Amino acid sequence: MESNWAAEHLQVIRTLMERAALYRRALAPIMILNGVVGLAAAGLGWGLGVGSPPGFVLYWAAVSVIALTGSFLLVRRQALKESEPFWSPPTRRVTQAMLPALTAGLMIGALVLARAGLAPDTGRGLVRVLWLPLIWVVLYGCAFHAAGFFMPRGMRIFGWAFILGGCGLFAAGLPDWARPLDYAHGIMGFFFGGLHLAYGIYLYFTEHRRNAT
Amino acid sequence: MNPEPFLQLDRVIHEKGRLGILSMLAASPELSFTELRDSLGMTDGNLTTHIRTLQQAGYLAVTKSFQNNRPLTTCALTAAGRKAFANYINLLEQIIRQARPE
Repeated sequence: MESNWAAEHLQVIRTLMERAALYRRALAPIMILNGVVGLAAAGLGWGLGVGSPPGFVLYWAAVSVIALTGSFLLVRRQALKESEPFWSPPTRRVTQAMLPALTAGLMIGALVLARAGLAPDTGRGLVRVLWLPLIWVVLYGCAFHAAGFFMPRGMRIFGWAFILGGCGLFAAGLPDWARPLDYAHGIMGFFFGGLHLAYGIYLYFTEHRRNAT
Repeated sequence: MNPEPFLQLDRVIHEKGRLGILSMLAASPELSFTELRDSLGMTDGNLTTHIRTLQQAGYLAVTKSFQNNRPLTTCALTAAGRKAFANYINLLEQIIRQARPE
C-alpha cells in the first residue's frame, strides 16, 4: 500500500529530524566528572568548615567554575576527536536553554554575597542562607529541564529530580538533628555530586549498550 | 487513487540514504560529515556518494575547512534543497490523505 509506505517514510523523516536536533556529546563523562567534583567539593567544604555565607557562595562559585571548565574541555575533546565543530547547533540550543536559569542562580548568589559583605556578621553563619543551596538546586533543575528538549529524554527527568527534590526539602525545612554547615554542604554534595554521578554511570552503561546494538 | 503524487516524487530524494541526509539537514542549519555518518550509520564511501549526488542536484552545499589543523567537512541544505524536501513531504502527505476514507 502506497499510503502505508508514505506514512512509514514520514515517520523515518521525523525520527531523523529529531535526532539531528538532539545534543548527545560526551554526556556520560560530563555527568561523571561533575559528580566527582561535586562530591569531593562537598566533602572538602564540610571538612574545611566553610560556614560563612560569603565563604559558602565563593567556595561553590569556584567549584562551579572548575566543573564548567572540565565539562568544556570534555566537549571540546570529543568535538576534536570526531572532527566536528565545537559550537554546533545542538550545543548552541542547549546553552541557550540553560542560560536563563543558570544566570538567575548566579545573580542570586551574587546578591547574597553583596548583602553578606555589607551586613555585620551576626555569628549565625549559614543559617541565614540555608535557602540558597535549595534555590540553586531548583534553578539547576529548571535549566536541565529546559535543555532536555534538545537532549535525550532522560535529561528532563533528571531536571525534575532537582526541582522536586529542592522543593521537597524547602517544605521539610532544616531537620532538628542537622547542623547548618552539614546540611548546606550535604545538599550540594547530594544533588550536584551524587545525582550527577549516578546519572553519569547510568548513561555510561546505557550508551555503551545502545552503541553495541 | 490518483497516482500523480507518487509519480511526482523526486527520485534524487526518494533513495533511503539521501532522504536520511536531507531529513537531518532540514532540522539543523549544518552538520559535519562525521555527525551525518554516525547518525545514519553509513560508511564513508556510501555517504560521500550520496552527498555528491545531492550536490550535483543542487540540493546540498559542502564546505571544507580546517579546525585545529584537522579537516572539517560540513554540509548544509541549499534553498533549492529545502524547497525540494518540503515538496517531497507535501507529496507524501497527499498520498496519505488520498488513502484516508472521507
